[in-house]
Amino acid sequence: MKRYVYINDDNLAQDLYCDNRISNRKYTIWNFLPKNLWEQFSRFMNQYFLLIACLQLWSLITPVNPASTWGPLIFIFAVSAIKEAWDDYNRYLSDKKANEKEVWIVRQGIRKLIQAQDVRVGNIVWLRENDEVPCDLVLLGTADPQGICYVETAALDGETDLKTRVIPSACMGIDIELLHKIKGVIECPGPDKDIRRLDANMRLFPPFLDNDMFPLTIKNTLLQSCYLRNTEWACGVAVYTGNETKLGMCRGVPEPKLTAVDAMIDKLTGAIFVFQIVVVIVLGIAGNVWKDTEARKLWYVRYPKQGPWYELLIIPLRFELLCSIMIPISIKVSLDLVKGLYAKFIDWDDHMVDLETKTRSNAANTAISEDLGQVEYILTDKTGTLTENKMIFKRCCISGRFYGNENGDALTDTELLNAVSSGSADVIRFLKVMAICNTVIPVRSKSGAISYKAQSQDEEALVRAAARLHMVLANKNGNILEINLNASLLQYEVLDILEFTSERKRMSVVVKDCQSGKIFLLSKGADEAILPHSHAGQEIRTYAETVEQYAQLGLRTLCLAWRELDDDEYQEWALMFKDANSTLIDREWRVAEACQRLEHDLEILGVAAIEDRLQDGVPETIATLRKAGINFWMLTGDKQNTAIQIALSCNFVSPEPKGQLLMVDGKTEDEVCRSLERVLLTMRITNTEPKDVAFVVDGWALEIALKHYRKAFTELAILSRTAICCRVTPSQKAQLVELLKTCDYRTLAIGDGGNDVRMIQQADIGVGISGREGLQAARAADYSIGKFRFLKRLILVHGRYSYNRTAFLSQYSFYKSLLICFIQIFFSFISGVSGTSLFNSVSLMAYNVFYTSVPVLVSVLDKDLSERTVMQHPQILFYCQAGRLLNPSTFAGWFGRSLFHAIVVFAITIHSYALEKSEMEEVSMVALSGCIWLQAFVVALETNSFTVLQHLAIWGNLVGFYAINWIVSAIPSSGMYTIMFRLCKQPLYWITMILIVAAGMGPVLALKYFRYTYRSSKINILQQAERLGGPILSLGNIESQTRTLEKDLSPLSISLPKNRNSSVYEPLLTESPNSTRRSLGAGAPFDFFQSQSRLSTNYSRNCKDN
Amino acid sequence: MGSEDGSYRSSKNSKKPKYSRFTQQELPACKPILTPGLVIGILISLAIIFIPIGLLSFSASQNVVEVVDRYDEECVPATSSKLGFIQDAQTNKTCIRTLIVPKKMKHPIFVYYQLDNFYQNHRRYVKSRSDHQLWSPKNEYMTKLCEPEAVDSNNEPIVPCGLVAWSLFNDTYTFSRNDNSLTVNKKNIAWTSDRTKKFGANVYPKNFQSHGLIGGAKLNETIPLSEQEDLIVWMRTAALPSFRKLYGKIETDLEANDKITVVIENNYNTYAFDGRKKLVMSTVTWIGGKNDFLGRMYLTVGGASLFFALAFSLLYILKPRPLGDPTYLSWNRKPTL
Repeated sequence: MKRYVYINDDNLAQDLYCDNRISNRKYTIWNFLPKNLWEQFSRFMNQYFLLIACLQLWSLITPVNPASTWGPLIFIFAVSAIKEAWDDYNRYLSDKKANEKEVWIVRQGIRKLIQAQDVRVGNIVWLRENDEVPCDLVLLGTADPQGICYVETAALDGETDLKTRVIPSACMGIDIELLHKIKGVIECPGPDKDIRRLDANMRLFPPFLDNDMFPLTIKNTLLQSCYLRNTEWACGVAVYTGNETKLGMCRGVPEPKLTAVDAMIDKLTGAIFVFQIVVVIVLGIAGNVWKDTEARKLWYVRYPKQGPWYELLIIPLRFELLCSIMIPISIKVSLDLVKGLYAKFIDWDDHMVDLETKTRSNAANTAISEDLGQVEYILTDKTGTLTENKMIFKRCCISGRFYGNENGDALTDTELLNAVSSGSADVIRFLKVMAICNTVIPVRSKSGAISYKAQSQDEEALVRAAARLHMVLANKNGNILEINLNASLLQYEVLDILEFTSERKRMSVVVKDCQSGKIFLLSKGADEAILPHSHAGQEIRTYAETVEQYAQLGLRTLCLAWRELDDDEYQEWALMFKDANSTLIDREWRVAEACQRLEHDLEILGVAAIEDRLQDGVPETIATLRKAGINFWMLTGDKQNTAIQIALSCNFVSPEPKGQLLMVDGKTEDEVCRSLERVLLTMRITNTEPKDVAFVVDGWALEIALKHYRKAFTELAILSRTAICCRVTPSQKAQLVELLKTCDYRTLAIGDGGNDVRMIQQADIGVGISGREGLQAARAADYSIGKFRFLKRLILVHGRYSYNRTAFLSQYSFYKSLLICFIQIFFSFISGVSGTSLFNSVSLMAYNVFYTSVPVLVSVLDKDLSERTVMQHPQILFYCQAGRLLNPSTFAGWFGRSLFHAIVVFAITIHSYALEKSEMEEVSMVALSGCIWLQAFVVALETNSFTVLQHLAIWGNLVGFYAINWIVSAIPSSGMYTIMFRLCKQPLYWITMILIVAAGMGPVLALKYFRYTYRSSKINILQQAERLGGPILSLGNIESQTRTLEKDLSPLSISLPKNRNSSVYEPLLTESPNSTRRSLGAGAPFDFFQSQSRLSTNYSRNCKDN
Repeated sequence: MGSEDGSYRSSKNSKKPKYSRFTQQELPACKPILTPGLVIGILISLAIIFIPIGLLSFSASQNVVEVVDRYDEECVPATSSKLGFIQDAQTNKTCIRTLIVPKKMKHPIFVYYQLDNFYQNHRRYVKSRSDHQLWSPKNEYMTKLCEPEAVDSNNEPIVPCGLVAWSLFNDTYTFSRNDNSLTVNKKNIAWTSDRTKKFGANVYPKNFQSHGLIGGAKLNETIPLSEQEDLIVWMRTAALPSFRKLYGKIETDLEANDKITVVIENNYNTYAFDGRKKLVMSTVTWIGGKNDFLGRMYLTVGGASLFFALAFSLLYILKPRPLGDPTYLSWNRKPTL
C-alpha cells in the first residue's frame, strides 16, 4: 500500500494517517484487567488452578475452605498483574515524555512550537543540533550548503558512529525562507520495519523546480529517535508518524523462549497431572463403593437413600480437590523469582566486566539461564566475536611486489615508504583507492587533527594506513573530496557510490578528478568479487596466490582495482543507475544489477591485508568449553583459509595428527553430493577413534547441501563436533541454527554484528558481544557480554549453577506437594474414603506459600562445586548438558522419597497419637509439623554449601512455622485454638518429631552416603577433592599442558593445517556427550532417594541417536 | 586460566565492600561433605540417643496399668437380633461387668470409652456442626453446615445442631469397688479452652433430639453447653476410626486384684456397623497412656543406626576408597583400548 504525502499542505486532511502519538503500552486503564487476566489464563497451569478454585466454591465437595486455593491464586495473579501494570505505567510515562516534547513545525507558512504528538504526516519539522528526531522525516534542507547533515542512530541500531544524511537533489539550493512554503508530494510505501531501506520518490510542485520525480533513499531520511549532530539545523517533512515509524514498526514483543528445563518441568507436571487423575479415579471408585457398602450402615452419617443425579461424581471431585495440591501452585512464582535472581547475578558479576569499555554483562532475557548450562552447540561468528575487530593494515601486494612480508608491518616497510616518496605510479594509485574508495567521514577537530568516522572497520584501517603513507583523506565536503598527498592538495568529485552489500561483497565509487576532469571507477572487495571482473589479459594468478597466502596467515584481504571511464559510458550508466535507484520494487536487486554493468574490465592494483587480532583468552575459552563437551561451529563471512587459520589459532580444531579437516566443497550439485558422501564416510570411520574431526564448508556448497542433501548434511552435523562454515550469509547462519535445533540440540549463537542478529534470534540462546560494530547484536540477544572469554564463565558458572539450582528447586517443589498430598490420600483410607482433609485450610495454604517455599528459595545460593573447580574440570558440565539432574528418573527418586516420607510421617503420627490422643486438630498439626521438620532436613541434606542466609532460611523457617502456628493457636475463633501450645508442652510431641526426622532422614542419609562414597558421581568426586583439599591440584599438569597460545602468526610457510607442529594433549572425552549419547544403553533402576547421584541414563536423547 | 581468574578476583575484591559478596555469590559458606567419619558419627550418636529414649519410653509405657473390657458383644442377649435389641426403646439395656485390677493403679485413673470402627472423621460427619452456634446464642440460626440435622420439623434451629452432636455417645457407667461405690469424677474432663472459648455459657440446648430419628444422648436443656462436658468431649472429633474418649476420672488408688463392678447402660448403637465398644481404665505417665509403639520404634531406629554405623565402618575398613581421588574421573583415565 502506497502512501502519498503532500508536503506542507495544511488544508488537505492528513487524518488518513495516525498522529505522532507514540504508544508502547500494552494496556489501557479499561482493558487492563480483562486483557491481563486473559493473558494469564492462556497458560495451562493457570487454567488448572482456576478450575480447582472454582470447584472449591462448591461447598459440598470442597475439603477445605476455598480460600486455601483462592488466596495463593489471587496472590500469584496479583503479583504478575502488578508487575505488568508497573512496566506498562513506566512505558506510559516515557511515552508521555516523548509525546509532550516540543518541536518546531511549519503551519500556514509560519514556524510554530507544538507538542511532538501533534505532528501530522506532511508537516515540515525543524530540528536544531542535538535534537531528537520526533518522527520519520524526509530531509528538505540543512544548514550545510551541500545539503549534508549528520545523525547518530544509536537508539535505532546501536551504532555510535555518525552517519551522513543528504537532502534529496531536488531540494538542493532552496533558500531557507522558501523552505517554509515548499509544496510537493512524496510517494512512499506503507510503513515497514526496514531501517536500512526507503524506496520512495519525491516531486516538488511549481514554482519549485520541475515536475521530475526524484528518488529518495534511506540516505535522505531522518528516522525517529535519532539525534541530529554536528549540524546547526535541518528540516524535513514527516512521512511516518507515531507507531508507524520505522522504529515503531520494529518494536514488537519477541517470542518468549522456553528452556529445556521448563519443557521438562511442563512434562513432569503433565505426568503428575495424569497420576493425579488416576489417583482420583481409583479413590473415587473406592469411595463410591465404600459409601454404598459401608457408609450406608453408619447411621450417624445419615446418607440419604436417594442422592441427586451427580451423586456419583461428588467423591471423585472431592478427591480431585484434595489432590489438586499435587501440582504446586508456588512453583511458577518460585521459578520466576529465582530466574530473576540468576539474571541479576549475571548482571552483577564483577568477573564479567569488560574493563576496557566498562561494560557489564547483561541478561536481557531473565528466563533462560538454565539453558546456558545445557548448551551443546555454540555457533560463533568470527570477526568481532573471536577477534577484536580492531583492524590494522599489515601487508599489501602492489602490482606483484610484496610489502610488509619481512617485518610483518607494511607501514614501516622502508621499501614501501621509498616507493611512496619516489611517487611510484602503481603505489600512488593503490593508495588513492585506499583513501577514496570508502564511506569514511573525516572529522577535523579544533586542533587540526583529523579523525575518521567509519561504519566499516576495514575502511577505517585502510584510510588510516593511507594517511600514514602520506595519502591523507583530509576533507569531505559534500561531493568534493580532498586528499593531501605530500603537501599537494588533490580534489575529487564523488559522482556515485556503489554501495557494499553482503551479496555483492564489493563496493565502488565513481569519482571525477577535478584537475583533469577524468572519471574513474575505484573498487575494492573480496577477491572472488573483484578478480573475475578484471580486464582480459591481466595476470590475476599472482593476486589469487597472494590472497591465499595472506589468508593462511589469518589476515583479511581486500583486492583493490580501478578503471578509467569514458564520459559517454558514464553518462549512459548514470541514467540507468538513477533509474534503478528510483524504482520502488526490487530496488536492491536492480541497483546491484546496474552496478554490475559498470564493474567490469577492472585493472587490479593490488591486495591489502588487514589483521584482526584474536581477543584475549579466546583459545583458552574455546579449549575449556570444548572440554566441557560443547561443540563449536564457526560461521563466518570470511574466506575459507582465513577462517581455518583463525580456527587453528584459537583451538577450534586440533592440528594434525590429532585433528583432521574435511572439506565439503563443489560448485555443482553432484560435486557437493560426492564430497558430502566422502566426508560422511570418513566421519563414520573416524568417529570411533578419539580424533578431532572437523568439516569445512563454504557458503556455496552449504546452499546446495541445505537445499538438496539436507538429510546427509544433518547427519554430518550430528557426527561432527566442529565445523567451519565460511562465506555464509546471515540467513544461512540462521538456517544452520535452525538445522541444529531440529536435531534437538541446545544451541547458543554468539555474534557481534548486525549480520548475526538473525542467528542470535533463531538460537535457543543468543549472546551478543557489545563490540565495535554497534550494539545491534547485543540488543537482539538474550545475553550481552563484553568479551568472548566471558562466555566461559557465563556457561560454566552461571549456566551450570542455574541449571543445578532450578533442577533442585523444581523437583523439591513437587516433592513437598506430593508429600502432603500422599498424607491426605493415606488419611482418606482411614476416614472412610470420604474425602476428608486431614489438614485445615490455613495449614494447607501456608504450607505451599510460606512454610516450604522460603527454604528452597535460598537454594539460589547453593554451589555444588566452587567456580574454580568447575573451571578446572569443565567436563563436569556434562551432567547439565545431558540433563542428568532433572529428568524422569531423578524425578522418580524425588517421587519415591516423598512417598517414603509420607508413609513415615503418617504411620508415626497415627501410631503415637492413637486412641485417646487421636484428636483431629492435634493429629493434623503433628503430621504437618512432621512434614515441616522433614522438609527442613531434606533441604539441608541437599544443600551443598551453607551460607548464613541458608541457615537463616532453613532453621528460621522452622521457627517461623511455630511462630505462625502459635499466633493462630492464640485466636479463640480459629479451629486450632490452643492446639499448638498444647502440643509443644507434650514430651510426646517432641519425641514424635525426633522419631519422624530420624526415621525419615536416616535411610536417605545412609543411601546418600553409600552412593557418595562407593558409587560416586563425578560431581561427588570433585566435591570431595575440593573440600578435603585432596589431590585435585595435581591435575594442574593437565592444565599446563594445554596448548600454548599462538597468537603470533608470523611463521609464514604454512600450507594448510598439516604441518602444525605442536603436539597437544587433548583429554580423551570418553564421557563427552557424543560418545555417551551413543553408549547410553539400558537404564539403571530408579534413583530412589537421591537426585544428584549417578542416575539411570535411559532418559537420553533418543531422537538424536538416529 | 584458573590463576588468571584468581588474580583478577583478588585484585578486584580487595576494594569491594563486604555487602557485594552476595551479588558476587561469594558469601562465605560452610561446605560439609559426607565423609565416613561424619556419617558414622551421626549414625552412632543417633543410636546413642535413640536407644536410651526408646528404653525409657518403653518402660514408661510398660508402667501404665490399663484395663480394657469389650462389652458390646456380651451386653446384648445372644438370642435376639442385636440391632432390634438396641433400637428398641423399651428393653432393659443394663449390663453388669466385673473387672479385676491386675496391678496397683495410682490415681488419677482415667476412664475412657473406646469405639472401634467408628468414623468420626467421615467427611459428612465431621463437617456437620456449627461452631458459631455453639459459642453464642446470637448465632442460633447459623445451621447451614449442620445438614441433615440443622432444623427440627418446625424449621426451628436445633442447638447444638449437626450430626456430631446428634450422635452423642449415650452409654453410662456406674462403678463400684469390692461392692463399695466408686466415684467417677465427670468434672473437668473436657479441655478448659473448649469450655471457656468454644462452648458458650449462655447457650442452652434447644429442640435437641426432639423429632424424627433419635441419634444418641439427650441433653438437659437447663444446663448450658459449656457445662455439658460429655458433649464437649464428644465434639472433639477423633482423627482415627478407633478412638477413646474420656468418660471420667477416678481419684483414688486402686489396689491389685480389686474387683471393679461396672453397671453399664448399653444404649449406643454400634451393632449396625460392626463397631466395638470398650471400657478402658488407665493410668498415665509422662508419655501418656499405654503406647509401646514409640519405644519400639526408637529401639528399632537406634538399632538400625548402630547396624549401619557398624556396616559402614566395616565397609570402610575392608574396602577403603579414598575420597576425591581424581583418578576416578573418567576423563583423567587413559582409554583402555
